[in-house]
Amino acid sequence: MPNDKYANMEEKLWILEDLNMMYIRQIALSLQDSDIQKKIDHEIRMRDGACKLLAACSQREQALEAAKSLQTCSTRIMAYMSELQRMKEAQVMQNVPRRSSDAGPMDERLPCKGKVAISDLRIPLMWKDTEYFKNKGELHRCAVFCLLQLGGEIFDTDMVIVDRTLTDICFDNAIVFNKASPGFELRVELYSCCSEDDYSAGSTPRKLASKLSSSLGRSAGKKLRAAMEPGPCSPVSNGGASPLLLPVPSVPGPKYHLLAHTSLSLSQIQDGFRTHDLTISGNEECSYWLPLYGSMCCRLVAQPYCMTQQMMSGCLKVKQCGGDPQSWTNVFAVLKGTSLFCYHRQEDVEANVEPAFTIGINKETRIRASEKDPQSKVQHICISNQYGGEEVTHTLTAESREDTHRWMEAFWQHFYDMSQWKQCCDDLMKIELPSPRKPASITPKQGSLYHEMVIDSTHDLSSTVSDILARRMQELELRSQLGMSPTWMSVFEENDTKPAAFPRQCNSRLSGHSPCSPHRRPLSPASPPCCPRLGLLSSDASLTSDSDSHCSTSPCCHHRGWPEPSLNFPLLSSSPFGLRPRTLSLDAKLSTLRGRGYGGGGGTFQCPCQPPPSSRLSPLPISSRSPLSQRSTQTTLSCSSSTSSNSSSNSEGSHSPESSEGVLFSRPSPARRSLRNLRARLDPRNWLQSQV
Amino acid sequence: MSFVPGQPVTAVVQRIEIQKLRQGDKLILGFSIGGGIDQDPGQNPFSEDKTDKGIYVTRISPGGPADVANLRMGDKIMQVNGWDMTMVTHDQARKKLTKQKEDVVRLLITRKSLEETVSQSKGKNPKPCTYANEKQNLNDVMYTNNVR
Repeated sequence: MPNDKYANMEEKLWILEDLNMMYIRQIALSLQDSDIQKKIDHEIRMRDGACKLLAACSQREQALEAAKSLQTCSTRIMAYMSELQRMKEAQVMQNVPRRSSDAGPMDERLPCKGKVAISDLRIPLMWKDTEYFKNKGELHRCAVFCLLQLGGEIFDTDMVIVDRTLTDICFDNAIVFNKASPGFELRVELYSCCSEDDYSAGSTPRKLASKLSSSLGRSAGKKLRAAMEPGPCSPVSNGGASPLLLPVPSVPGPKYHLLAHTSLSLSQIQDGFRTHDLTISGNEECSYWLPLYGSMCCRLVAQPYCMTQQMMSGCLKVKQCGGDPQSWTNVFAVLKGTSLFCYHRQEDVEANVEPAFTIGINKETRIRASEKDPQSKVQHICISNQYGGEEVTHTLTAESREDTHRWMEAFWQHFYDMSQWKQCCDDLMKIELPSPRKPASITPKQGSLYHEMVIDSTHDLSSTVSDILARRMQELELRSQLGMSPTWMSVFEENDTKPAAFPRQCNSRLSGHSPCSPHRRPLSPASPPCCPRLGLLSSDASLTSDSDSHCSTSPCCHHRGWPEPSLNFPLLSSSPFGLRPRTLSLDAKLSTLRGRGYGGGGGTFQCPCQPPPSSRLSPLPISSRSPLSQRSTQTTLSCSSSTSSNSSSNSEGSHSPESSEGVLFSRPSPARRSLRNLRARLDPRNWLQSQV
Repeated sequence: MSFVPGQPVTAVVQRIEIQKLRQGDKLILGFSIGGGIDQDPGQNPFSEDKTDKGIYVTRISPGGPADVANLRMGDKIMQVNGWDMTMVTHDQARKKLTKQKEDVVRLLITRKSLEETVSQSKGKNPKPCTYANEKQNLNDVMYTNNVR
């Protein structure tokens, strides 16, 4: 069965990934560089979080953002790993006894590093005029973002949705790379992903999706198939180093494909806007295609450190050429940028007082050491500049020979830097610091995406309102009980599938369903004792598009320092979402234990006599022993079983009601919620009775 | 007990005081309620007016506190400890009855037989009382609901 093969492959990939992680850790240990390893770990966790988020998302926008994070994380991981390997190689090379022919110049001068900033990226589009003026028909939309890579730093821009109403793709982000050397290569990659609503493969299980794609019409099916399968430029096979090393976990969902790329280097730096050519990959047949004009406009500037930082400072005596041979001026000189600033006193530097005078140091400057002074045996340093045809020479004397030497060295280094950084050293280029962005583009934006209130259109309005009320009510209680951040709860409450809203208790949440319910929910084990019965559940495991059980951990993980998902997940139910237990992680073990602790006690709840409601409510625990439950005293998660969970320690004094005709409810114990029962409670078609 | 929406409701009521019984760690009253503004009034077997969304007593546990206090099945609960029960949801009603910190509930209930009793004994002048007036006899109290 193709599904099995797929699962097998995935298993192999995961094992490979784990092995690779171990290998990386070993390398990092041997290099005694835990920095990179930490970064890799961090990125891997981010990536896992993004995968889960992707699997859990139902809204297209969220899925696109998550896929973007995934792409960024994967790229970063690859970059870190290549760096790690390079470092390892360098170390190995060092240990090898050096042959003279191999030895490069030992004391090669290295140019100073600098900051490189790219901003105001603009990529013009070239729509066909027919396309541009078309007023009807569906808008072909793509989500695009740029990935910028320089050295080991990788940044991504915000995501922009592009359709035929836009003439240019504009990215407003300003990205600053620190520690760039003059020989840098800034790689700009434009990724795009088709953003058609119908083709979100994130929520449909594979079988269904393949059926859909094969049964759709030709062009629609072609698009869908392209969207589902990795295109010719899939991220995994995209020319990265060692694609098998930590492969990108294939998660169903929007996938970004490389649309265009270019490389920028020192020669493209200019204190203004320039246009650069783009190399476009992909063709019109691809779903992610956009008609690019073929160029990119941006502002690329650099600030070498020699321009912004003090390269050398110290006390000197300066004599102006042509002046009194004995008129030495004591100054505190600072070499920075294109000048040597001479202050009267050292304190003036901090006080921002104007320097006494400034000696220009630029490409035209000539510096030489003159012959030794017969009395002090110290060499003078002569700096000659051309000021409008005239040559002006300043003579400097340091206090000692070592000082002179150091100053000469500093001057040479400065000249070297300027020769390396070329046009960047003519003038200081201005870099606008990006306004404090939301920390890490990886975390989802607060507000817009996740606080949207989604009114489920599948229900009639009355029940929806009561749903919302109940949810709100419950959310407040939950929040006070668990002290959780509301944002994550609202993700799930607004989520179509409306799963349980506590990440830690996802493992222990039970959901039962009545036999007549058309929706079958994935079942998750409540507590360790239930685990052995997982086998029984597979027949009941639903193939619905709900991924509710899965999603509950991810955003929490995302925000709460990564409690890894435990093993108690419904892997038995349709799990095309690639949630994988991280068997190697201690975190996983810990969180498993934690999850079990939370899950203690409680069974399923179901109102047996309810007409099949769709499971949209946030769960509320129902503890009841209805007469119908007597036929199912065992706590299997089959339909219409209920156990009493009388752990109601609620201050409101709820208690489990006795059985009576109809449906009975009590105040929820914190750990038990059941969507179905609250739904049933609030369904006006029922006439509920409560025992008091 | 039909009402005109927007107009005050008038009914003959009876006060019933129920002492809660401790059962385990819970205080129970020993009866079941049904109804509420979020419930379907058409399914209420006890209401005369099938649009009445009030809270009704649907079952009495024999020998329980409610039984002892002369609560009857089919009674409509108008107030619980001063809280109005004619315009509440089912859950709100249940909550008002099951407060664990209170061990006594004082209900204001009405039933059809009360009306009949009053009308039969029309010779006596039932004292009309307003909602706010608390000093009442146990029987023959006119209940005017100004909440609506």
